[in-house]
Order: sequence, then structure tokens, then C-alpha cells
Amino acid sequence: MNLKKYVTLTKAGIIESLQFRLGTFVLAVGNILYLIVVYYLWKAIYASAGSETVNGMTFSDTLIYLVLATALFNFMEMYTVWEMGRSIQSGKIVLELLKPMKYRSYLFWTYSGQFVTNFFFTFLPTFIAVAVVTHGAVHMGLNLLFFVISVIMAISLNYSINFIVGTICVYTESIWGINIMKQVIVLLLSGATIPLAFFPEPLRTIAYYLPFQSIYNAPLSILLDAHPDPKELAATLGTQLLWCILTALISKLFWKVSLRRITVNGG
Amino acid sequence: MPAIIEIKNVTKEFRVLNRREGLKGSIKDLFSRNYKTVRAVDNISMTIEQGEIVGYLGPNGAGKSTTIKMMTGVLEPTSGEILTNGIIPYANRAKNAQEIGVVFGQRSQLWWALPLVESFRILKDIYQISDEKYDGMLELYKSLVDIEPLLHKPVRQMSLGQRTLSDILAAFLHDPKIVFLDEPTIGLDVSMKSKIRTLIQALNREKNTTVILTTHDMGDVDALCRRIVIIDKGKMLYDNDIEHLKSFFGSYRTLKIRTVGELASQAESIKKELPEFSVTADDEWISVLVDEERSKVIDVLGQLQKSHKIKDMQLEEISTEEVIKKIYEEGVV
Repeated sequence: MNLKKYVTLTKAGIIESLQFRLGTFVLAVGNILYLIVVYYLWKAIYASAGSETVNGMTFSDTLIYLVLATALFNFMEMYTVWEMGRSIQSGKIVLELLKPMKYRSYLFWTYSGQFVTNFFFTFLPTFIAVAVVTHGAVHMGLNLLFFVISVIMAISLNYSINFIVGTICVYTESIWGINIMKQVIVLLLSGATIPLAFFPEPLRTIAYYLPFQSIYNAPLSILLDAHPDPKELAATLGTQLLWCILTALISKLFWKVSLRRITVNGG
Repeated sequence: MPAIIEIKNVTKEFRVLNRREGLKGSIKDLFSRNYKTVRAVDNISMTIEQGEIVGYLGPNGAGKSTTIKMMTGVLEPTSGEILTNGIIPYANRAKNAQEIGVVFGQRSQLWWALPLVESFRILKDIYQISDEKYDGMLELYKSLVDIEPLLHKPVRQMSLGQRTLSDILAAFLHDPKIVFLDEPTIGLDVSMKSKIRTLIQALNREKNTTVILTTHDMGDVDALCRRIVIIDKGKMLYDNDIEHLKSFFGSYRTLKIRTVGELASQAESIKKELPEFSVTADDEWISVLVDEERSKVIDVLGQLQKSHKIKDMQLEEISTEEVIKKIYEEGVV
């Protein structure tokens, strides 16, 4: 495998995303607005609950979790479904299929530059701000290492899920509805918008058996747990790895089958 | 010379849902299993040799792009065999992609937001072009066209002509054995068209690259191709050198005129005046097909001027559509 082929796409992605400076600023402002809403919403929830802790989490626990979840979301979110759907609809996919690479990896590496810029422009500043403001609510130790490993698996898992949903566009040739549905399911069941601890018992159990919680809940719980039980840590990472491999296999297989059906539009 | 593309009895069929009309029909369609089979390409065979420039012609929807997509490996033929560079394209798409270049007139493979030179560098890495070959290619490009001002311009700021030019250069960059050009001159002005034709010709000569060119512009064909293949409704109508076709059609010109007075009645009277010519009329023009071997355009015009007041006129080379129409009507040996 020649790594240069892939890294060059990452580099192009970085340069490309840096071209749109204004977009980065707008994104940052939108983010702050979202966080303000989250702050007041949860403040109201805790006020009406009348106790310091709800479902084993204090107000600041919840807030730290949600701020980091938002930062992680901005860092990891891919618009793969959108991208694939548009390519398939417009017929632009011909050009992508004619690159001397597998489409699945071509698309991923084209996107990967965004990870790098998003990491430095959204995740890292938020992370530092949270660490400074909360005076050590985030433990700086070995958990950071496990967090990084977990995030890498989360990115891979997230991509596979996106790719599977995007492949459905081959059959439907429409994107919007499918994309929205995927978005809602992932955001809710991954713990990106509401910590899983707040779910009613049966739903929480279901969420734990689904792959989505491995995207946001898993890395965040590793990051925020200062003294993890080694067994629990291994279970979390193991589950992630399992889902990673499984969804990667499914997405590859599904694409292979669907590719035969492609009747590229236009021309 | 060795064959680089071999196509044997290739057919491609698509399954299309039979759509019904109206809201009720659309709702019924949601559950419909009523498909029809459309044959886009019907039993085509040809052999193309290394270094040839082949004009691949046909009206819209004739099956040109479908054939090209099969040759590039994007589509799999329903039946028949295709070999490019000795491999089956759809089964080895990534490997095949290494040896081909493509330009689709309406789409760009370049990185929209980046300067052209960045796109070139990315392609260099993707296709694993050596520094030496890459520099050589850039030198060649510099000797052929004035690319220096283009290199540092973001693609999105380019004019259509500049972008097409850049796309063609990008397609040739990894020195592929075959380049597919799908309507490369579409929407371009005359001077850009000729620039692009010269470039394609030079690259074909320098690198002995096989070029498959689809176009609606007979000017492209005249300037570039020695051999042309014509298809219509998926069937192959003609595969021979251009001289052969020219001896058949070359002397035809279409004289288009606009006269004072109501167009339809004017057209009727011209038809009566020129019984030996084929006269047609559309919303704007009255067209007279003139065989220059038998009568001169200027004589026809002179004759018309006696009885009609001519406001405007155009002289057109025979178009692909007309060639095909004539092939249908009279057949070509």
C-alpha cells in the first residue's frame, strides 16, 4: 500500500477547507449559540428536578459532557451521505469511480483533511477551554491515550455507518429524507444530544446493544472517567472494535453489490 | 499495430420503471413492478489500435456515453466482451483507471477550490507519477499552451474554456494509454475550440495516446479524426475512415435564409422554385441543402434573391444529425 496516495488527499482537504475562512467563523458562532441554548435548557431541567444530581450526574457533569459531545460532533461529523447522494444524482460519481483507488477509501481520504482542520479549530480549543474553566474536571492521564484510540475507532465506525446509508442512495436516488433519518437516529442513540444516563432503562439497554453509542458515548465516557475499571475500559474499547470491523465489512459488501446496479445518470 | 481496445458484440440494457402520469399514477408507481428494458447499446463490435484518434458520433441518447462508460469500467455490459489494454475494465476498475484518462465536457475532475497546480500535484500522487515524468509532462504542456497563468488560478475562477483546457491536461498527466474525451468542446467559442483541437492533436502525436472523442461538432471530427464510428439508437451505423464519408457527404452545405414575409408561405414558394433541392423550414430559418458538386451555393442564393427579399443568411456544414439521417435514407457502403 502506498500511503502517499492517501495523505495527498488529506493535504488537499486541509488546503481546501482553509480556503473558506468565513465558513469556519460562522460555524464557530453557530456553535456558541447552540451551547448557550444547551446551558439554559439543562439549567431549567435541573431546577425543575429540585435535586443536585439527576440520574447520577450533576449539572456541571452534564454540561461538561454535552459541551465535549458537541465539540466531538463538530470534529467527527461527516457529510458523506450528502456527498454520495449528490454524486450519484448528478452523475459526478463517474469521475470518482475512475480514480485508481477504491471508492470507499477515496471518499474517506478526500474527507480526512476536514478532520485535521476541525480538530485544531473546534475540538482542541473547546477541550482546552473546558479543562481550564472546570479546573481539572477532565483528568489528564492515561485516559487521554485511550480516548484517542477510542476516537479513531469512532471515526471509522461513523464513516462506515455513513457509507452504508449513502449507498442506499444508489437505490433511491434521493438523499434528504434518508440523511435526516440517519442524523436523528445517530444523534439520539449515540448520546451526542442527551447523555445515555438520562434514557429510561429499556431504551438505554437497547442503545447499549446498538453500534451508535460507540461513536460518541464511548469515547466521552473514557475521557471523563478518571479512574476507569480496566475491565470496563476493555469492554468499551472491545465493543467499539467489534462494531468497527462489522460495519466496515457490511459497508464494503453492500457497496460491492450496489455498484453493479449503478446506472450512472446523465450523458 | 497492436489493438488497445477490443469490443465484441457488446450489448447494454437498462431496466426502467414504466412511470404513470398524474398524482394517482405516481402513487401507484411506488408499488409498481412494471419495468421495461431499454437497450442503450445493441451488439456493437470494434477494434481500436494504439495511437488512433477515433471520432465517436451519434445524436443525443444514441448510446455514446454508455459505450464509453463500459470501456472505462464504470458500467458492466449486459452481454459481450470488452478488453482494454488486455484487461476486462469493470472487473479491474482501479487497475484500468491507471491506464486511462477521461474528460467529460460538463464535469470537472479538478479540485474546485484549489489552484490548478495543486490539482496536478494531487493527481501526481494518486497516479504515482515519478518526479521525472511529471516534470517532463509539465515541460511538454508549457511548450504546447500558455499554462503559466492558469497554474496558479483556482479552478472555480476559470472560464469554461480555461477549465476544459485544464481538464484535458489533467487527463493526460499520468501519460495514459487511452484518453476518453466526451464532448470536450461543448459550449466553447471558436478560438478556444481550435486551441483545444491543436492541443489534443499534439498530445496524441507526442505520446501516441489513443483518443476516443465523442462530439456533435463536425469541426472537431474534421480537425482530429481519421476514423469515425457512428451509432444511433444503440446500433452501429458506420465504422470507417473519414475520407470515405466525406466523399459521400463532404460536398453538402446547408444554406439557411430568412426572408421578408410569412415564413411558412415563403418556404412553400421556395420549395416550388427549387424542386431539385431538399428545402425545410423551422421557426426561424428556411434551410436548403445544396450539393456543391452539382450547383454552387452562390448560384442558389442568386436565384432566390430574384424572387425573395433576403434579410439574413447562414452557411452551415452538414451536421452529425443530417449525416445520420442521410445514412438512414440512403445507406453507406
